[in-house]
Amino acid sequence: MRVLSRPESRLGILVSLPFAAFIGLFLIYPVTVVVIKALTPDGHLSADALSRALSGTYRRGFINSIELSLASAVLGGLIGVVLALVVATMSRPRWLHPALESWSAVASQLGGVPLAFAFIATIGTQGLVTRALAEMGLDLRDYGVTVTGFWGIVLVYLYFQIPLMFLVMTPAVQGLRQSWREAAAILGASPLRYWLSVGGPILAPSVLGGIILLFINSFTAYATVFVLNPGGALVPLQIRFLLQGNIITGEEDLGNAIVVWVIALLLLSLIIMTALQRRALKWIHS
Amino acid sequence: MDPLMTASRKGFVLRWGFLILVAAYFVVPMLAMARFAFQNVPTALLTRDNVFADWSISGLLTALSNPKIVSSASISFWIAVFAIALNFALLVPLAIVTEVRSPRLRPALTALTLVPWVVPPIALVVGVATTFRAAAPWFLGNTLCLVPFYALWAMPFTYRVLDAGLQAINARTLYEAARGLGASLWTVIFRVLLPNMRAAMVAAAMLTVALVLGEYAFASLLLKSTLPTEMVVYEGRDPRGALALALFVMVITALCLGVVVRLIRRRGVSITVTGF
Repeated sequence: MRVLSRPESRLGILVSLPFAAFIGLFLIYPVTVVVIKALTPDGHLSADALSRALSGTYRRGFINSIELSLASAVLGGLIGVVLALVVATMSRPRWLHPALESWSAVASQLGGVPLAFAFIATIGTQGLVTRALAEMGLDLRDYGVTVTGFWGIVLVYLYFQIPLMFLVMTPAVQGLRQSWREAAAILGASPLRYWLSVGGPILAPSVLGGIILLFINSFTAYATVFVLNPGGALVPLQIRFLLQGNIITGEEDLGNAIVVWVIALLLLSLIIMTALQRRALKWIHS
Repeated sequence: MDPLMTASRKGFVLRWGFLILVAAYFVVPMLAMARFAFQNVPTALLTRDNVFADWSISGLLTALSNPKIVSSASISFWIAVFAIALNFALLVPLAIVTEVRSPRLRPALTALTLVPWVVPPIALVVGVATTFRAAAPWFLGNTLCLVPFYALWAMPFTYRVLDAGLQAINARTLYEAARGLGASLWTVIFRVLLPNMRAAMVAAAMLTVALVLGEYAFASLLLKSTLPTEMVVYEGRDPRGALALALFVMVITALCLGVVVRLIRRRGVSITVTGF
């Protein structure tokens, strides 16, 4: 075998060099420059830009973005989990499960501009649902739901968050063995007790990991909010504002600093998510 | 009545009630969009009474014959083609060599290909604007400058799909068997491994198409004219046509992803593209 592989010994370097060069040039290089500029706003090391990026309107932006992402992640996560649990208990229409899975794979990717248009047609001022409810004497605005407002945007984001959670949770839910439930029942546990002591703890890492995934997903979403409410105080929209007006000196460093915070937040979320998923896998594969 | 029966009947009603509610949430916006896009009725006059009145695809046809839409669609098409080609050129050899020769490096590579995911378009665009605008203005001047970046964001799922494809065909065993029978390295790659990876490659390509059809932030902030950015511009001129176009793009995206689902179902690959 060793004789056979000799001519290919340099193959590893040959294939990894272009890959490394590509990542280096188009990802590492721009990100490194952003980090350096954010840390040295006036040419020397200072945390000035980084702290300015978390004060005033930019602080507001981060709080709004985190609140929006949390709301859509928690709501989408819970509905997605319930959907996965409900579907797992139903074996009767055989097409239900595969159909839902295919459809979720599609819907979890339907974000962006078209989705914003769809919801303008639904709950916008001229939207069909808005007007149908108005006929019944219900004004969505009375409940704080406008397509440009907080809950309106949450409602739009749920369109891709629920299917994404369903996709992430389906393997975990299928990992719950029927025999565990039966064993618990034989030992005298009520369904509630089963969920508190067995099902809940086993699903918890997957659910949390999924919610963090949804959080990242909505924190970085740009197109939908840009179409719905371009002036909103959300981090992605503020980055746009700074990028387009970066003639003013100093503002550029602010943009860099905001990006550094965003990357730090995403990196932290990704690390927590990976750790949770690793825990969750223990049960799925055993 | 048997109490167990009523309990399960209540569960039945609850379950289906929940499913119908969720289904309504997902279907109603599409129907509303379809009515806005394809009914030749001013949107303010769309009511329950004229659901079937004046359906036509004239809005879509007008949009699809708009020269700006046509040229941006063809640019998006070429961006997708080049991004797919670039990713295959970089990742197919890498995935094969890793699987065949140093499978211990697989987890590290999987983690490495996740990195682009931490730097979403809205974040990377700042770095690209500050670096390349000064260092290589000719590069950002061309719309095709989007290609490497789209390839970058397509990388996490492309690598995963390719890797899963190699796992599924037992690439290492195939490689060793073919080499043992005297096949050259290139024969193994082109006549044994690649033909077996066709499904994985088509799936990765379709996912990339979906990504290119959906990415807005990066292209719009670099002032590039792609189908998504042109769609937003067009909405200001002809909202009905833009909605028809958006629905059309959604259907294409759904078809691409449908192909992916068919090809990689039950391989345990997560096919999520987030951050767009």
